[in-house]
Amino acid sequence: MSYLSVKNIVKTYKNEAVVQQLSLELEKGKTLSVLGKSGCGKTTLLKIVAGLLDFDSGEIELDGNSINELKPAERGIVYLYQEPLLFPHLNVFENIAFGLRLRSLDKQEIEQRTIQMIGKLGLVDHSDKMPEQLSGGQRQRVAFGRAIIINPAVLLLDEPFGNLDTEIRAQMQQFFMQLSEQFSITTLFVTHDLKEALLVGDSMGLMEHGQLTCYQSKEAFVADVRTGATNEISFWEQFNENTD
Amino acid sequence: MQPRFKPFISLLILALALPFFLLPLLSLVTQYRFPQLWPEQFTTQHWVDLFGLQSGLSESAITSTILALSVAAFVTVLGFITSRHVAYHPKKEKLLLLAYLPFILSPVIFGAFLLYYFIAIGLAGKLIGVVIAQVILLYPFSVILFSSFWDQRLKSFEDLTATLGGSQYQTFTRVLLPVSKNIILLCFFQTFLLSWFEYGLTSVIGIGKVETLTMEVFFYVGEANVYFAALASCLLILPPVLLLYINKRFVFR
Repeated sequence: MSYLSVKNIVKTYKNEAVVQQLSLELEKGKTLSVLGKSGCGKTTLLKIVAGLLDFDSGEIELDGNSINELKPAERGIVYLYQEPLLFPHLNVFENIAFGLRLRSLDKQEIEQRTIQMIGKLGLVDHSDKMPEQLSGGQRQRVAFGRAIIINPAVLLLDEPFGNLDTEIRAQMQQFFMQLSEQFSITTLFVTHDLKEALLVGDSMGLMEHGQLTCYQSKEAFVADVRTGATNEISFWEQFNENTD
Repeated sequence: MQPRFKPFISLLILALALPFFLLPLLSLVTQYRFPQLWPEQFTTQHWVDLFGLQSGLSESAITSTILALSVAAFVTVLGFITSRHVAYHPKKEKLLLLAYLPFILSPVIFGAFLLYYFIAIGLAGKLIGVVIAQVILLYPFSVILFSSFWDQRLKSFEDLTATLGGSQYQTFTRVLLPVSKNIILLCFFQTFLLSWFEYGLTSVIGIGKVETLTMEVFFYVGEANVYFAALASCLLILPPVLLLYINKRFVFR
């Protein structure tokens, strides 16, 4: 049963089609990885789903209800940028508690839930620190915690690890998968990194020139030459052959 | 090489610091004429007159304070809101060009244009009229000042807050205001000072009935009353010095 359903979305900008008849289905608690090069319309797609951009035609449904007319704040869909975008005037605790404070929850509940989240993020010793005192990976953890603590219906991730170096990036991919499983997060994850897409996604999609191709399985995704997976495999296999 | 510049730098510092010494001194003497090196007689009478409300300077100081505070507050709020709309508008450059138009004319000429309308609607010669005229002049300045502040990062903060469930009001109070605190204060201080020292537009729209401290200084200088001019100048530089101190101590630490 599809939880997030995007049907035939069309978005044009200055007479150029940025998104063309785009459709996708995403099950609750699953992650759809969308692979695409820069400028293929990935960010536009996410912003449309988040309600941050208007579109020309199509339908977006969440749990069977149309959300076309809902404002971003009413959708329960959190959009995370490549940059962690921590609020510079708030410390780690307040950044994570931000979404709860917007909902005017009881102070004790906010404190309790935030402390719990900080523990799960592994940032207990950093809760009083300001954003500029954190490393890139720590900032990204805070950004995730700030989004997840409000139990979003869908999490939209726009190349969230793009700014991190290889080692931290690998750690954050594992961290995301743990969080995703622990909190059953429904995620639309866009990236230009093939390995990352395969690693974090339960299902796969490829975006080219504003059009999205969704695949029945990871095998089907790998088999499509357009994804570049076959080229990648051949590249590594030649070293295997040389070693043999 | 460095020591050669020392006398020049010392002279420059002396030249800049001299008014801060000379003005209070002149406000405390009755006779100090060339070729005397030091004044003959000191008096606190000018300052006593000031607090005794006999010179009219205290009224001018109050008028200047009300005027500058009102103008700075209006202009900062209007500029902040307007610049945000301008920054995200598709025709941002053209709209921003409009903001430069009032600065093509000198404030006196600009005031002369405005005066016709201000007389017609009964605002000439009134404090509220001068407030409105200065707001008209400084509003574009604040828009220009704020326009460089709005960027993609700030827009992303707004979008992020919205997707986290924040209303426009919450975005404004919990994110935009705290993040922009420094530039808001900077704009407030700058427009306060511009209004505080404004002469041309104020004299035209005020038609001599709205007396600010700056105008008093010009008046005393005009009638060669150097001691009262110095006293008025002392009052005139108090707010800038105070703002500099607040800036240094609390805002831009």
